[in-house]
Amino acid sequence: MIMLEVVDVHKSFGGIKALDGVSLGVERGSVTGLIGPNGSGKTTLFNVISGFYTKDAGKVYLGGERIDELAPDEVARKGVGRTFQISQAPEKMTVLENMLLAPKGQMGEGLWNALFGKRRVLNQERHNLEKALGLLNSVELIDLRNEYAANLSGGQKKLLALGRILMAEPEIILLDEPTAGVNPTLNKSLMRLIEDLRRAGKTFFLVDHNMKVISEICDKVCVLDFGKKIAEGTPREIQENEEVLEAYLSGSSKKWTQKVGIDS
Amino acid sequence: MLEYLAYLSIMTGIYGILSLSLNLQYGFGGLANFGQVGFFCLGAYTSTLIVVLVKGPFILGLLGGIIAAGLFGWLISIPTANLKEDYWAIATLAAAEIVRLFFLNEDWIFGKGPYHGGAFGIGGIPRPLQSWFSATTYPFFYLCIVILCLIVTYFVIRLVTDSPFGRVLKAMREGDELPLAMGKNVGKYRMKVMALGGATGGLAGSLVAHFWSFIDPYAFMPIETFVVWAMVVVGGKGNNLGALVGAIIIQFFYSSTQFLKDYIPIDPQVLASLRMVLIGVLIVLVMLFMNEGLVKERKRIYR
Repeated sequence: MIMLEVVDVHKSFGGIKALDGVSLGVERGSVTGLIGPNGSGKTTLFNVISGFYTKDAGKVYLGGERIDELAPDEVARKGVGRTFQISQAPEKMTVLENMLLAPKGQMGEGLWNALFGKRRVLNQERHNLEKALGLLNSVELIDLRNEYAANLSGGQKKLLALGRILMAEPEIILLDEPTAGVNPTLNKSLMRLIEDLRRAGKTFFLVDHNMKVISEICDKVCVLDFGKKIAEGTPREIQENEEVLEAYLSGSSKKWTQKVGIDS
Repeated sequence: MLEYLAYLSIMTGIYGILSLSLNLQYGFGGLANFGQVGFFCLGAYTSTLIVVLVKGPFILGLLGGIIAAGLFGWLISIPTANLKEDYWAIATLAAAEIVRLFFLNEDWIFGKGPYHGGAFGIGGIPRPLQSWFSATTYPFFYLCIVILCLIVTYFVIRLVTDSPFGRVLKAMREGDELPLAMGKNVGKYRMKVMALGGATGGLAGSLVAHFWSFIDPYAFMPIETFVVWAMVVVGGKGNNLGALVGAIIIQFFYSSTQFLKDYIPIDPQVLASLRMVLIGVLIVLVMLFMNEGLVKERKRIYR
């Protein structure tokens, strides 16, 4: 069953077509990868799905329901969890505070309950705290729980982003380069974690440049180049695809120079 | 001397409320409100209108000031909710001036009676329970009222900033992307913060109007906003106690410098400007040597 469906999405910035009619689907319970050379539109697609950019044309469905007209916070509440390529963690908040930010339906986030419902709020907080500690254990940040996010390394911030998004219990998790800047040992445990979560029924859609990661954990891979989907298939099929190889190797730069040549 | 101390303490208490209010908006929510004095002004005028024209009791005036300024805060955050920090600052500065200029020019609201309004200001604003006390003891009674209001404000804001609501505010001050990705409606939070910040600012306004028993639009110039900013920055943004410490330090510093004329031969008008300059110097020094303010933000530890 298709969890997330993107249908013919277009998005331009000035004269640049960042997304040029992209259609793809993410199966429920799968790990789907999204690859492509730099500037091929991967992050733009993430931003359109999560509501941070408004598309120029096209549709996005989550579990059969259209989400492309919604504001980013509404998309998030519908069940799309995303991380950012560059850490957006509030740096003057501790790791635990970051985690506690994520759960949906927190009573204490309403002004009334913050003022008059302290007991109920505390009960919920205690529950969330336990969950946060459990998740911090699995992303191996438990010892840093009371450290400001500002003091974390780039890789640790990636782990925090993953842990935080898991706290929100989304239907689908969009990971933007989860392994960039993460050391190999941590990388392995991160991949194992994603594998475990997938087995537990979670759906992942992820962008990454590390082909080893992609081929090890992805069931399906989509390839973007210049805002168009040029290929889709299993990691093995993708690695043998001529067009993909061309886009990734000399092809991309050749095409680039051609495009620039035409424009100027 | 004792009466002067009482006066100083009352003003410190009132500015302490303003400082707590701005700290909620800026120190926690990251909202650079350059129009804090607008709430102060609106609270003062609303309370005066209720007590002087409608002959309502003091407590009604107080509530009216709180509600009017809270509504105003909520109202101005509707069109500005999605502005970036610097534009937000400009918009709030303008909003405060609109309030002041309204009361400067629309003098008809005070009617043809003994109260002039407009540039003449309004005098004879009744003080609560004044007949119960002598002129010398009254300030001490009023000080108790102010301290009571300050304590209530402190605990209300403390509750808010310590709650999950406050946690979202802290996330917002470092950018909208993450709270949005976590499903938080950032615009709505801004409105609520501005309403609460406005309401507390209005409270301070009501208190000052009934204490001075005379108000005019010139008491609510934009410069007052920056005095409150100085309190938050010097005391320590993101810390409620810091906001109070800042209020005490700036208020005492500002008041004590007026006695400089007894020690150095200086033109009083030059000294008046110079006192503001000294506050500026104090801010620069704090920024250079303790850039988080005198009282640092408390790290939140969960157990």
